[in-house]
Amino acid sequence: MIRMSLLPPLDRTAYREGVKAMTPLAAAVAVWGVVTGVAMVNAGLTIPAALLMTFTVFAGSAQLAVMPLLATGAPLPIVWVTALLVNLRFVIFAAASRRSFMHLPWPQRLLASYLNGDLGFALFSRRFASADQHGNPEQWGYFYGVAFVNWGVWQAGSVVGFLIGGLMPSDWGFELAAYLALMAVLIPMVQRFPAVAGIISTAAVAVLAVGLPLRLGLLLAVLVGVTVALVGEALRDRRLSRLSRV
Amino acid sequence: MNHFHDWAYLAFAFAGLTMATVVTRGSFFMLPARFALPAQVERALRYAPACALTAIIAQGVLTRDHQPYLTISNYQWWALLAGALVFIKTRNMIAMITVGMTVFTVLRIWA
Repeated sequence: MIRMSLLPPLDRTAYREGVKAMTPLAAAVAVWGVVTGVAMVNAGLTIPAALLMTFTVFAGSAQLAVMPLLATGAPLPIVWVTALLVNLRFVIFAAASRRSFMHLPWPQRLLASYLNGDLGFALFSRRFASADQHGNPEQWGYFYGVAFVNWGVWQAGSVVGFLIGGLMPSDWGFELAAYLALMAVLIPMVQRFPAVAGIISTAAVAVLAVGLPLRLGLLLAVLVGVTVALVGEALRDRRLSRLSRV
Repeated sequence: MNHFHDWAYLAFAFAGLTMATVVTRGSFFMLPARFALPAQVERALRYAPACALTAIIAQGVLTRDHQPYLTISNYQWWALLAGALVFIKTRNMIAMITVGMTVFTVLRIWA
């Protein structure tokens, strides 16, 4: 019988380095977990359901994004597609760091995938940006040092958030906290003209098309926004190349 | 019926959402090495998450009962705007949420 471990060989020194790299960021992760936890419970989720959600889904922005959809009993395909759209950034992360993981046995790749959130990816890609060899115990050690601290701190923060949220009256309109928390994810993504044009058109379509059945206005808005951003990017590139020729 | 007490609905929802986490984070870890993203697709992927978050926030704050809700007495909107300005200036999430919730509560009680 082949005994299959879920973890690849981890270099101890690199593991500790990962833990250390994550430590100064732990406070931010914990706070974001608390905010998400409070927002989930304030949206109306019971504490058992919130616990089930955080320990399975493990994706803060997606959890917050689908909360208003779940509250109104939106069709599940719309709920899932919304989460997929919010999560699409992970596809880019995975494409960028795949060389370090793709030769592992698939159960190990699956666990690494599940734990590969925003911060983990940011630290990992900064640390090994100039590495000439990919996929070794040093990189896996660092990755899991970061990932385990991130997972533990995030879940602890979320659970504290559920408890705090459970103590607060739910009729104070605190679902606004969830939208504010999502703004903290959104704003750093929107630094340049094409992205700004994209989200403004998205917002306009989302509001005007809110009456569409099955919450399809959401998807239409994203489609229009991405198209506007891509067109904006093409226009900008053409203008830049014309300027550089002068 | 309150959907947050409908366990079958929630269980299916969470199962699919967990898949959404694994499928996106695992995409290129699980795919064979010969698959790569075309440049145009990668560009589109870059904008999709921001647009999806925007659509959710816009429908949450700027609509009510499936209708656009663009009036001066939309307190959530002013609170969100105040919070966003604070975040752009300070990059501090706690400050943004504190300011946003304070503006909202003050408007709700006294305006």
